[in-house]
Formats: sequence, C-alpha cells, structure tokens
Amino acid sequence: MKLSGSQIVVERLLAHGITTVFGYPGGAILPLYDELYKNSDKLNHILTAHEQGAVHAADGWARACGETGVVIATSGPGATNLVTGIANAYLDSIPLIAITGNVAVSMLGRDSFQEVDIVGITQPIVKHNFMVRDVAMLEDTLNQAFSIANSGRRGPVLVDIPKSVQTDICEYRNKTPLPAKKTYCTFDAGQVSSAIKNCKRPYIYAGGGVISSNAEPELGVLSERLSAPVGFSMMGLTALPDEYKLNLGMAGMHGKLAATAVKAECDVLIALGVRFSDRATGNATEYGEGKLIIHVDIDHAEIGKNVPPHMYVNGDVKDVLTQLLPLLPAMRNDEWLARIDELKLKGKTEYASSGFTPRNIIETVRGFCGADTVVATDVGQHQMWVTLHYKFQKPRTLLTSGGLGAMGYGLGAAIGGSIARGRQRSVLFTGDGSFGMNLTELATAVSQKLPILIVILNNNALGLPRQWQGVFFEKRYSQSTLNRKTDFVALAKAFGAEGYLAEDLTRLEYALNNLPDRKPTVIDCRIGMDERVLPMIPPGGSVKDIIVK
Amino acid sequence: MDRFTVELIVSNHYGVLNRITGLYARRGYNIDSLYVNETENPEKSRMLITSKGSEYIQTQMVHQIRKLHDVQKVILMTQINR
Ligand SMILES: Cc1ncc(C[n+]2csc(CCOP(=O)(O)OP(=O)(O)O)c2C)c(N)n1
Repeated sequence: MKLSGSQIVVERLLAHGITTVFGYPGGAILPLYDELYKNSDKLNHILTAHEQGAVHAADGWARACGETGVVIATSGPGATNLVTGIANAYLDSIPLIAITGNVAVSMLGRDSFQEVDIVGITQPIVKHNFMVRDVAMLEDTLNQAFSIANSGRRGPVLVDIPKSVQTDICEYRNKTPLPAKKTYCTFDAGQVSSAIKNCKRPYIYAGGGVISSNAEPELGVLSERLSAPVGFSMMGLTALPDEYKLNLGMAGMHGKLAATAVKAECDVLIALGVRFSDRATGNATEYGEGKLIIHVDIDHAEIGKNVPPHMYVNGDVKDVLTQLLPLLPAMRNDEWLARIDELKLKGKTEYASSGFTPRNIIETVRGFCGADTVVATDVGQHQMWVTLHYKFQKPRTLLTSGGLGAMGYGLGAAIGGSIARGRQRSVLFTGDGSFGMNLTELATAVSQKLPILIVILNNNALGLPRQWQGVFFEKRYSQSTLNRKTDFVALAKAFGAEGYLAEDLTRLEYALNNLPDRKPTVIDCRIGMDERVLPMIPPGGSVKDIIVK
Repeated sequence: MDRFTVELIVSNHYGVLNRITGLYARRGYNIDSLYVNETENPEKSRMLITSKGSEYIQTQMVHQIRKLHDVQKVILMTQINR
C-alpha cells in the first residue's frame, strides 16, 4: 500500500493504540494536520493555546494513564516551545513522543524560515531523537521511537519530520509495533534476602520506578512482610495509600519529618526505583552512615551515581521484587515500630494548623475529591504543601514536575490528566506565580469543556524563593513579591470559566459546592504571604539540620 | 586523575559523534584524544576516546554512553596511572 509520510504517521499512531494527541499546527506540519483532519473520527487532537501547554498535557496524560503521550508541533518556534516540556518528561522518566515538522529536506541547513535544529537542541533531554530525511525510513523510525520511549527507563523521544517527507509517498508495510525491550534481570536473590533478614530496622525508600513498573502491589507486600516503613521521593508518592500505617510520606528537603528521621535511623535502606536526587538526599556522605544500602534501579547509570550502595540490583522494580518476595520471611521488630510511631507523632504535632491555611485548604478540597481524582500541581510552596498534606489513595493520581521543577507545568498536566481519565474532574493546585506562566491554557480547558478545578494558593508572592530569602538571605526579598493585583475571578470569567474568591473556609466550601460540570473553575484562595513550608532541610544538610518552626 | 580510554562500536551515522562528545562536555571532561573509523561493516564505526577522570567518572561515562541508542558496545579499555 502506497502512503504519504503524513498518512504513515497517522497509521503508526493508530497502530500503537494512540487515540489522543496534543498539539498546535503551523506551516511545516500542515500536511500532517491535513491527515489529522481526515482521521478525526479515530484520532482525537487536542488543540492547546501554546505548545508548552500541549507537551505538558501529553506528559500529564501519560502519567495519569501509564501510556505514551504524543505531542505534535510545527518547526522553529513550535518546536522550541516544546523544550521545557520535553526536559520535564526526561527528568521524570515519562514516555513521550514529540513529533515536529521541519522545513523541506531541500531547505534544511539554509537557515530557512522557521528552521531550527531541534534534534541538536533537544539532544541532552531526550532518550533519543530522529530527523527523518527519507520517507522510506519513517515507518521504522516511528516504530523504534515508541519502543525506545518505553524500554528500560522510560522517557521522551523526538521525531523531526521535514515537510517534504510528510508529502513524499512510499510503500507502507504496516509492521507490527515493536514491543518495548523488556529487561529481564538475574541476580542473587538469596544474597539480597539474607542481607535484609540480618537487619533489625528496615526502611523502604520508594521512587518513580515503582510507579513506572506498576510495582505498587509488590511494594505493599514487601512493606507488610518486613514491617518496614515506606518513605517516598516525590515521584514515588501515590504508590501506597496515605492511610496505610507504614506510609510515612515524602522524605527529603521539604518532606515529612518522620519520613526523613526514620530513614536516618534505619539499618537497612531498601531503595526501589530512586535516583537519590539531592533534593531527596541532602548530604550524600552522611546519608549512608550506619546502614546497609540496597539499591534497585532499572538504569545502571543511577547505581552509585549519587549514593554508593552496598548491594545493588540493576533491574525493573516489579521484576526484582517478584523474585525477592518468595525468599523473605515475615519480620517484625516492635521496638522499631514503636520508634516509628514516636517520630510520626512528633511530626504530627509540628504540623498543627488552624484557619485559612494552605493545609486546611488542601484538606477541604480533598474532602470534595474521590480516590481516583487526578491532582496536578505547579512548582513552589503550594506543590510542597500538596505533597505533604493531600491524602493520596491511588497510584498515578499526582501529576507534578519533580526533576525539572517547572513552574507552568500544572494546568497543561491537569488538562491531560482529565482527558486521560475520561474527562473527569481533575484538580490543579497552583500559586499565583506559576499560574501566571501558562494560564492561557484556561482557553483549552474551556473549549474542551473540562471540569477542572483550579485552586490558586494566592500569597501575592513567589513563595518558595521568598521563604529561602527569609532563611538564607536575611529577608532581602529580591523580586519575589508580586504586586500584580490580578483579579483571577474576572480573569476566569473572561476565559469563559467560573471564578470564585475565597478568604475563608466557608467561602471555599461554597465554591466547591457549586462547581460546574462542563467548564473549569478557578478559586482564588487568599493566603498569608508568610506561610512557610515546614519542615525544611537546607541544601546539603541532613536530618540534624531540620528546621521545623 | 587516571587516564582512561573507552572503545565504542556505534552506528555509522551523522550526529552520533556529537551525541557522545556531548556527554563528556556536559560533565566538563576534556577529550584528550579521539579516533573514529568505519569498521568492515560500513553500518558501524569504531571510536576510541581518551580522557582523564577518577574511577567514579569512568564508570559513570561508560554507563551513560551505554544508554545511547546509537551505541552498540562500550568497553573501558585502559587505566594507566599518571
Ligand atoms: C520556570 C521556572 N522559573 C523559575 C523557577 C524558580 N521558582 C521555584 S518556585 C518559584 C515561585 C513559585 O511561585 P508560586 O507559583 O506563586 O508558588 P508559591 O511558592 O508561592 O506557592 C520560583 C520562581 C521555577 N521553578 N520554574
């Protein structure tokens, strides 16, 4: 069968089970958009307001449903607008295919109109990228792109397709999609299990690798079997329900006191699918003192990169745990469990709050959400408050920019998350700073009739830098106070969304009781400028340096 | 710092050299010598890259290079003390 390059792209997307793509058209990608027009009954294209919104939406979609996100953009500015979103997916290991148009092959390398070397630009932030100069290579290239994005540690792949290649014709072979390369791992499970058995104070440190390999059930069994508490990196949150007694929540710089303190006191640290990021680890030298570190990760380069382990397994978390669990007996150390309870209690009293505080706002909103509600955040204090106080119950219900910490991620992600979950209500917690970055995606949420709830924790400030300036720069609040006077209620209405102002919990509840079903709602929650994220461990510090008040 | 050489078998394709040297540049390691040629199989080329770095750096480089899609084989060849 002879097909054009554009037809091949559409056929390949469908062959890989893709039914939703996010994107934005432009000159160099018009042939593909023409094909999308003809196939709109099979392939749903979500037009955003900005390419950055599209790539964040594709990323949020991928996180929420566990499949590959697809984003399409034109050459030049369209492609460069994807860069932040691609880096974001790369640092959080999210499978994503970015398809960009480029100028015709004959025009490449001449600084033609809207020509940029997007393959060169994105090289350090993709698993791999391709420039397809010959239509005969297109089918295989797309096949490989999907396989690479999902093999081993997942991540983004970019495919740059010159306009002429989109219109060139060649034989389409309709090959079966290449499966992701499965990493089968062989290791001495006996050795690992006896090391664990010899220890008295186990602690499991779980990260994004648990979610990525769908190893949540195995993680739960491991924790119960060993009576081991579980602390999470930001990317691992949601793997176990909040109410689970041994779930200590997030550890690290802005993590929960118990999660960090218990970790410091354990004698075996079972690290599953984590990369010991500096934000989670702090002082890497003190980190391993007095404990045996067992590191399991699918990416060999992560083993020993930040923290040297005493024992490691290079493999998929689910695969490794499946082999390990049969060898592990039930263990229980009452002294250790009592110590954990003590530290948990200490943490609880430190976080007491009353009034219209971030924590109470988050808990009130939580009361209106289901276990399946997808929650997105932007970046800043509000993000940390959500990770500290929102009680997650199910995997893949948190969409947050972990490794890159990209302000402006949230609204796109909330759009993708809502669409991935059958256009259910998703929630975005954002700050007045972050929301300002990509709020134009309100237009997308309105045109798609998505019932997204946007809660702005509005402190008139770039709160997180401001908090740091308070602690480390003697309160010199350089450029972190926002005197914008934006009327977010009017702004929401101007976009065709609903808007409410809330200055107390009653007003917030009123708004939550009146959420429309087929359009987004913005609730502008006015909170104090001096609310802080606590606890806090200064960069490079350890639990000894923790600031709780 | 130890001098170390990695031997690579890679796809003989434009842009591949760039991806590999980019990994060195990103971490701030100078490449002291670089040798590239096509193998008997014209689809592959062989590279020898010599640089300086601690044992930690050497293993990191090998693992990072191994992750590149265009790289089929990586061998850490020499570790001559200097
Ligand atoms: C794109 C981007 N620019 C700058 C930063 C640095 N930064 C981190 S948090 C933050 C302020 C966030 O302010 P806001 O969204 O209002 O959230 P708050 O901390 O007040 O809750 C800034 C500027 C960033 N993370 N991302």
